[in-house]
Amino acid sequence: MAIDIGPFETEMNRGFLQVLVLVLLEKDKYGYLMVKQLEEKGYVLEENTLYPLLRRLEKKGLIKSKWDISEDRPRKFYVITKDGRDVRAELLKIGRLQNKILNHLLKENQNV
Amino acid sequence: MSKRLENYLEEISHYLGTGKEKQEILTEIKSHIMEKAEQEFGNVGEESIERVIETYGNPQEVAEKYMDDQQIIAPTFKGHLLRYTAVLFFVHFALTVLAFIFKTRMLILPFFYIPKMDNFQALFYFPMIFIYDLGLVGIILYFVTQSRKDIRLPWPKLKLNWQKMIDKGQEKPKILLLILMFLGYAALVFVYITYHTLFFKSLNPGGVESLFSPEASRWYSLALLSILGAGVLAYLVKFFIRSEWVNLLRSAAQLLILGIVINRPIENAIREFFYFDTHLVADLIVALIALLLAIDFMKNLIILGIKAFRKKSLAQ
Repeated sequence: MAIDIGPFETEMNRGFLQVLVLVLLEKDKYGYLMVKQLEEKGYVLEENTLYPLLRRLEKKGLIKSKWDISEDRPRKFYVITKDGRDVRAELLKIGRLQNKILNHLLKENQNV
Repeated sequence: MSKRLENYLEEISHYLGTGKEKQEILTEIKSHIMEKAEQEFGNVGEESIERVIETYGNPQEVAEKYMDDQQIIAPTFKGHLLRYTAVLFFVHFALTVLAFIFKTRMLILPFFYIPKMDNFQALFYFPMIFIYDLGLVGIILYFVTQSRKDIRLPWPKLKLNWQKMIDKGQEKPKILLLILMFLGYAALVFVYITYHTLFFKSLNPGGVESLFSPEASRWYSLALLSILGAGVLAYLVKFFIRSEWVNLLRSAAQLLILGIVINRPIENAIREFFYFDTHLVADLIVALIALLLAIDFMKNLIILGIKAFRKKSLAQ
């Protein structure tokens, strides 16, 4: 029976996307630019997923935003905050540890 | 602004409800769609907007993503919703039966008002009280969820073993019991045909005396025979159809018969011969029978609900 991987992928992406956005926003960027940058790196992030995520991170104080109206079209720029950097550092640490454990176990499996 | 974009944002706006960030969200989406249209198609026209919207997702889906962390009722309260509703409905149901029997209205502040009803009104009133109770419990749990406080709600322990009741309902009907039921029923029918009543004041050898007036005797005896007859018939049907619906229909029919009896009071039905108020005693006996039948009906309804729920859960 073929199992739909979609819900598992969504679940796995939840944490990953938070870190990804926090890394991406080291310099201020607007939404469309973020999508394009990730696309160039080979990662497709749906816009309708990105914006609600940005809103949640902003509510928690990890990023901040500002509308830029200097050009014809107003653009909302986002950038990481001090709290965001602290959280990012912790999350990356957790991520590395998780990868280490996973690799270790996978290696063990190969030797079985 | 493009007409298509305007409609799209309006639709998302409906799904977003009345949150204070709504306008900001819509401006964000609008800005993104226009940016993408210009960057990828070189202009912000109806056609390019249409193509961007197609990839952005349907309005309901888009709005839902903003509401991910907003729960109406916390998942941990789902069990409470069902259990509280069941308890409340049971009380409400019993009070409604009593109000119906005593032909009175009942007001219990601040939530319950049970009007004076006839048979058919009562029949429609029962599903309505269920919806009402579910709604009332839902509203309370909604406020508890929205308060975001760590509130520990009591968990009433209903010492009822539903599984045992379900298993009992599925037992194979016994032929011996059916024969006994038929014999007992036939004996009652025989008594009725002979004496035109099933309720006796005295059984003197010189002559039996009925408890009620002749008209009331006939009416109440036939009602009792119908209620018991429904029970025997349902047991017989179980030999051919093994379904919880048989029990549910049986108890519904019995309740209906009792309702018809209550709804047709007979003047001077009971002969005055005791030192106490015989009408009150009779009313209480009828109320007790009605309550037992109502509990039986509820039990069958819940068993059917549990089975349907399990079937659905298994199918998923």
